[in-house]
Amino acid sequence: MANIFDLFKSCYQFLYSKKHAYALSGLLILSTLELHSQTVIKGSAIDAATEEPVAGASVVVKSTTNGTSTDANGAFTLQITRELPVTLSIRLIGYKSQEIDVYDAEEPVIISLSEDLNLLDEVVITGYTSQQRRSVSGAITSLNLSEGIRETAVSGFDQLLQGKIPGVQISSNTGVPGGGAVFRIRGSNSINAGVDPLYIVDGVFISNSNFIATNMGGQTQSNPLSDINPSDIENITVLKDANATAIYGSLGANGVVIITTKRGKQNTKAKISLSLSHGWASAIKKFQSATGPETAILANEAAYNTAIDRGQDPSAITLPVADPLNRPTYDRNSDLFRTAALSAYEISAQGGNSNSAYYAGLGYARQESIVKPSGFERYSGRFNYDNNLTDKLKTGTSIYLSQVYRNVSSNDNNPKGVINSAIFVRSYLPVYNEDGSYARYGSFDNHLALIEHLDNNAVTWRTVGNLFLEYSILEELKFRSSWSLDNIDLTENNYDDTFISAGVSTHGAATSYKAKNSVYTAEQLLTYNKLFKEKHALSVLLGNTVNAVQEEYARASGQGFATNDLKDVSVAATKSGSASKSESRLLSFFGKTSYTFNNRYTIDGNLRADASSKFGKNKRWGYFPSIGLTWDASQERFIKNANVFDALKFRGSFGYSGNQNGIDSYAALGLWSAGSNYLETAGTAPSQLANPDLTWETTRQLDLGFDVALLKNAISFSFDYYDKYTCDLLLNVPVPYRSGFTSFLQNYGAVRNSGIESGIQSTNITGKDFKWTTEFNISWNRNKIEKLASDITLGASGRNASILREGYSVNSFYLYKQLYVDPETGNAVYEDVNKDGFITSADRQIVGNALPDYTGGLTNELTYKDFSLNLFVYFQQGNKILSMHDFFLVHGGTQNNIGFIPRQLERWQKAGDVTDIPRMTTYNGDPAINNGSANNYGGNVANMSSRYLSDGSFIRFKNLAIGYNFPKSVIRSLQLSRLRATVSVTNLFTLTKYRGLDPEVNAQSGSQNTYGYDWATTPQPRTVQLTLNAAF
Amino acid sequence: MKKLYKNIRIATVLLSSLPFAACEGFLDLSPADSIPSAVAITNKETANAAIIGAYNSVQDYYSGYYITLGTITADNVSYNGTLSEYLQLDQNSVSPDNRGAVYVYQTVYAGINSANAIIATVGEVNDPLFSEAEKNRILGEAYFIRALGYFDLARGWGGVQLQLNPTTGLGILSGIKRSTLDQTYDQVLADLTKAEELLPDDDATTRNRAQKNAARALKARLYLYREQWPEAEAYASLVINSAKYTPVKPFRTFFTPPFLSAESVFELTFTSNDKNSYWNLWYPSAAGGQYTLKPSDALVAKLNDPGAGGTRHEIIEGSGSSVYGVLYNTVSTSTDPVYVIRIAELYLIRAEARIKKTTPDLSGALSDLNKIRDRAEVPRFDSADRDAIIQAIEDENSIEFAFEPHRWFDLNRTKRTGAVLGLTRTDYWLFPLPASDILSDPDVEQNPGY
Repeated sequence: MANIFDLFKSCYQFLYSKKHAYALSGLLILSTLELHSQTVIKGSAIDAATEEPVAGASVVVKSTTNGTSTDANGAFTLQITRELPVTLSIRLIGYKSQEIDVYDAEEPVIISLSEDLNLLDEVVITGYTSQQRRSVSGAITSLNLSEGIRETAVSGFDQLLQGKIPGVQISSNTGVPGGGAVFRIRGSNSINAGVDPLYIVDGVFISNSNFIATNMGGQTQSNPLSDINPSDIENITVLKDANATAIYGSLGANGVVIITTKRGKQNTKAKISLSLSHGWASAIKKFQSATGPETAILANEAAYNTAIDRGQDPSAITLPVADPLNRPTYDRNSDLFRTAALSAYEISAQGGNSNSAYYAGLGYARQESIVKPSGFERYSGRFNYDNNLTDKLKTGTSIYLSQVYRNVSSNDNNPKGVINSAIFVRSYLPVYNEDGSYARYGSFDNHLALIEHLDNNAVTWRTVGNLFLEYSILEELKFRSSWSLDNIDLTENNYDDTFISAGVSTHGAATSYKAKNSVYTAEQLLTYNKLFKEKHALSVLLGNTVNAVQEEYARASGQGFATNDLKDVSVAATKSGSASKSESRLLSFFGKTSYTFNNRYTIDGNLRADASSKFGKNKRWGYFPSIGLTWDASQERFIKNANVFDALKFRGSFGYSGNQNGIDSYAALGLWSAGSNYLETAGTAPSQLANPDLTWETTRQLDLGFDVALLKNAISFSFDYYDKYTCDLLLNVPVPYRSGFTSFLQNYGAVRNSGIESGIQSTNITGKDFKWTTEFNISWNRNKIEKLASDITLGASGRNASILREGYSVNSFYLYKQLYVDPETGNAVYEDVNKDGFITSADRQIVGNALPDYTGGLTNELTYKDFSLNLFVYFQQGNKILSMHDFFLVHGGTQNNIGFIPRQLERWQKAGDVTDIPRMTTYNGDPAINNGSANNYGGNVANMSSRYLSDGSFIRFKNLAIGYNFPKSVIRSLQLSRLRATVSVTNLFTLTKYRGLDPEVNAQSGSQNTYGYDWATTPQPRTVQLTLNAAF
Repeated sequence: MKKLYKNIRIATVLLSSLPFAACEGFLDLSPADSIPSAVAITNKETANAAIIGAYNSVQDYYSGYYITLGTITADNVSYNGTLSEYLQLDQNSVSPDNRGAVYVYQTVYAGINSANAIIATVGEVNDPLFSEAEKNRILGEAYFIRALGYFDLARGWGGVQLQLNPTTGLGILSGIKRSTLDQTYDQVLADLTKAEELLPDDDATTRNRAQKNAARALKARLYLYREQWPEAEAYASLVINSAKYTPVKPFRTFFTPPFLSAESVFELTFTSNDKNSYWNLWYPSAAGGQYTLKPSDALVAKLNDPGAGGTRHEIIEGSGSSVYGVLYNTVSTSTDPVYVIRIAELYLIRAEARIKKTTPDLSGALSDLNKIRDRAEVPRFDSADRDAIIQAIEDENSIEFAFEPHRWFDLNRTKRTGAVLGLTRTDYWLFPLPASDILSDPDVEQNPGY
């Protein structure tokens, strides 16, 4: 820590010591001031609809810099030096800008501001600046977190955005609260480097790496974004195209998500808000198992058929399960689930006086998982403060602190996971032994033992802080210095007591982990904004950031405890530990300039230079330029005369951005790793081949789009086409194992993502009492690997059911294609791709893809008097899901210790049966023979057959919220300014052909290239939630 | 105006292009858990660390899957789990991406790469504190580890690509095709001869690092596999005649702590900081294991037969349908060694060599065989029929090394796999080369049938 600030210092010291004036001064054109006699104009601003005073509106004498802003009562006083009449220009975000001519200074000027509905006047946040949408060339979607959105029962803000933003695919990996989600902006750009966007909260680059160590079998253990309390968030802006993201250079290739939290407004009186909510979550569908008698019959049938296949007399063999029809059924699946409780309490205060503003918020949220025993609990506090130290110097801070507790339990492909221990065990086997102890079978633990005794607790302390100073050198020239920290401190204590299989042999096993991740960012910006001669708007930004990421891990484990009450590693019989750390740094310089002529034509460009410590010395620097063009056609006279369009804007952008995320800090170095020990002696072994030429992965993106508003802004529509080409992929190219290595990280390969996205907002009805608005968006993305060294197969714990292959999309499934089950023999027939008469590994083929063809969302909001209704529907179409449940639990009898799911009952039994589940057998004769019984459930194809693959498209009624604003009479008597009650139902119902529990699933989320697996994962619950909001 | 210029100056200085060079140092970072390849072997300490790293790879593949590859594939151990890689091995229909086979193939080569680096550089190291004797020891161990690696590959996959230089870049790989089985075994022999020459003479206690006898014992096994009976006999005798080794009694001694018994010619030691949790695959979940590997019913019957198993029944516990193997049994500490070469094997190698050589030595073979039967407290075997003795030696090997990687390889080398296991398709006697290599290596050819 000290060391990094020293380095910052040394860099900046050097900079201070240079005493030269540079060409920049050319930018600074000085305005001259004329002296006149003074006149005072007084007045006030009111909201046109509510007639309430509007505070904080800027009132400026047109074409001058002379201005003020309205106070808490909406009043303003302005001294002018010109002679009357003058034109005042009044602006406030959220209202239509107005100009008013003042002829007489004696009468107070009443300015009635009407709400701004024109989408081009909307001010959107862009990289490091905010601009009117009119001049934005990029594809930027901005979302204010309204109540309707916020009332969805999720733990992370990323999940709130599902289906709300065109071009962004968001899908939860699991139904466990605080669990991860896939977040892809315009598809996956990379294969081995990161594909997650850059998240910025109030200027702080935040980490979204998981640090929880409990093995969840390929599932990402947690979603670090759920450490952030969504209630504090005001706005989320997503930057998608190259011109918008180029300013973030090497961090921006996967898109940028800018989160702005609530801040107080100057001159507003304190507003205290309180929110209480409570909810109940339950499973929509539960895991299914064949009953005890069914399982026994299936097992016996497999043994009987196997005997026939082996040429034995089937009546002579001993069947594995005696008296099958009288076997009992033990329902383990129901034991897993519960009605989970959710609660959230928030309190916040915001306001400001004449030179400072504040927002303070405290939050508590607790969510249980519907599958025991996982849970999530978050305490959070935020304090945002801005102060004008002088007229020219402004300072501010945003500080966020949270403590997040996660109870994590192992699942997925771990036979000692909670879900596996219930769904895998044969249903006729008793849960308890005769002596009352937990019964265990085969590899599996007892599910109740796990639920009752698992003790995996992870606590994250997270600090996200920013301190900035802004100095107006001139009215139009500002310098901003910003210093940020995102710090994650994670402590995880896991204890397996002697009731859990993992603790039986060791007499108790405890492991403690500590992880620390710190992201430091120092940022210096100079911005210049000036309107010349009322027609030429110029804006220039120059900046520099220094970014460092430090990670530290420590782990201690101990085995052998005197009793189960002792859990600290310190008192274990044997102990071991380890610790490690790593660091990476990034140095960047960037500039952005934008010129608008006559409010109509805008050209803007960005250039960023980045140097990363991760890369080889030869190619450390990357340069990322971009350019954008905008034409606001609605300003043209001929369009205005046509009187059709309220807004019409065309835009295009082209540029480059880079990626270095997700690769190791020391990826370019040739290394021998230590720790290859033997006989308690330290050893070293070759671990990584050097690649001094390792450099940036580069994404080139073209974006063409337009925005339209019609019918007095009742309907607005935006459309984008994009084409992204990512080359020099940071690819772990597989190398022959005889090299002693498995892969070599090099810049090789290319991926293309192209697509269209569009959104419609429509105000269908606006009456006095009734209002109905609709929002709809839909996005298509096509992903294709353009260049790859060789096929890369991966996934399903070494079963390699996913493949990366040139010419195909990422996340393709690579399986044996089952054509049909022969109705005569009951044997599965697979496609013999190379027609050599045998089914071998050469007959595997790509049979589907886990990525949806399109995704989208539909939101309808209705308000009638004090009631409101918000219905949000999310849909995705065309994705495939590989069900590992079918793979494991429709095993045809080959697995002696594993039960069956009901789909196994559809097996072929007698000649003439038409089904896709082949005849039960464990015969393992010659699996090379196609159409032979050895291929039904064994042989090569035991690996992966297409019969485990199914369509995962769905339409989900994601959220329904009904709210009621208590009438003024009630509120006044309670001395409140607002009181609202809401009932919301999340995941109301889902339309899908998928037969598993939930089509929104991603069990192998640990790798971005193994999407679309369903495997012992908690489904998305249906949640009913009651919320009460009050403001004082 | 003056003030304005001052402001401008401050601003421009702040934004003046940072002197990139001054900050280059800011971007030079190096890890604290690895060392640059260029300085990996430069003195005595680093050379010692490198050979330790090579042993670690051998530990990795033996404790990982190698034992399983040589056991579950044959008739003594059967599959009882959930993981399909074991099911494939049990059914002898192994896919090219079978995790176990891939892991071993990959890890053996990692060890070979370590050994290659040592062989290429240790001789050149200029360190006054690094004695010639010590260099020779390290080089000898590296040759031994490379020999063991290629031997273990050859008997599983057939002739493989011979990498004899360290991988410093990918360019070095091209053009190396698969060798024949004979060429691969020739390389093993050459390395063992080097190892035997360079390794130190045996002391009385070292069993977990290679000394001369370990190389000789492996050579005896190599000659057995190549059916060079007189050489096999001679090298087996060299080891047997050493006072350092004796078949221990009772049988369980060698797999009971403190390990490193007189039984062991070469044994890989594990410690609580360097664990071997292989027992986990053998023990039932009630005892904390996975129970993926289960003694077959036929083996259980033999072990419980006083005329066949004798004291060797101690490698199993439990009863009825829940019999499990306990050769690897350090349930609470996970410190089971891997028994790479036991002296019992040398007796059985010599027995087989004696009976199979051109002029069979029946009494010599029987005496070696009975040495092992005596130790297990089973009745002595006697026969005047050469074939019966050969069968008896095969059966003895099967029981003696039931949970060690012998049976599958023995059946294949004697071409009895078809007769004993019913696996008549000889293609399946070899494992497939990893699918990833087939895709990434233009020089490799897959084994037939895969």
